[in-house]
Amino acid sequence: MKRLLTLVLQLIGLLLLVPAVAIATLRYDTSRNDGPSTLFPGGELVAGELYRGPEPDWQFTNTVGTIELQISDPLSSRLVWILESEGKIYIACGYMGTTLGRLWKHWAVHADEGDGHAVIRINGVRYERQLVRIESGPALDGIAAKMASKYRSPTSRADIEAGNTWIFELAPPTTASGD
Amino acid sequence: MKMKTYLILCVIVAAVVASSVLFIPGVGDHMEQELLGFLSTNARG
Repeated sequence: MKRLLTLVLQLIGLLLLVPAVAIATLRYDTSRNDGPSTLFPGGELVAGELYRGPEPDWQFTNTVGTIELQISDPLSSRLVWILESEGKIYIACGYMGTTLGRLWKHWAVHADEGDGHAVIRINGVRYERQLVRIESGPALDGIAAKMASKYRSPTSRADIEAGNTWIFELAPPTTASGD
Repeated sequence: MKMKTYLILCVIVAAVVASSVLFIPGVGDHMEQELLGFLSTNARG
């Protein structure tokens, strides 16, 4: 009886091992790629022209579901929502009101505490940006409205000001260098 | 199964799975699609 139980437990262990190794390998493999996959963070954004020129009219992002966002410390990239409001663009990071959420979305903590340098890739074009967290203010009304209309998100300005959802403006690099 | 044999089997299985994901074209993509489907189905539920 004991031998049978041991065998069953060993079989269960093997069955759990296969998806665990597969997921860990997929995550490792994606982390070396040029950009993220749907599920896993990727590496440095390399392909695509680096945009140099005047600030674009970001309204074209209204038809873009997700963009690739690369932060520098640690160097990694992920897919995020893009929100255009009053000519500026923003990204949102939810579930930040909980410890688990902060562990899951640790990149946002790094972005907030680090230098904020970021590269985004939209439709194959890379843009250098500076992540600037917006914690309060009237701009949040427009951002929350855009989240509702574009992504059907119930996030409100109060949620953002309470820290449950973090909003970062993707500001031009020069703006954020303190000029 | 003796523990030593079992652990050797685990190492072999892990190596085969990791190699398949890394080196066989399409396996990684297929697994990710399956995982995505599983997660989205259960998130809806």
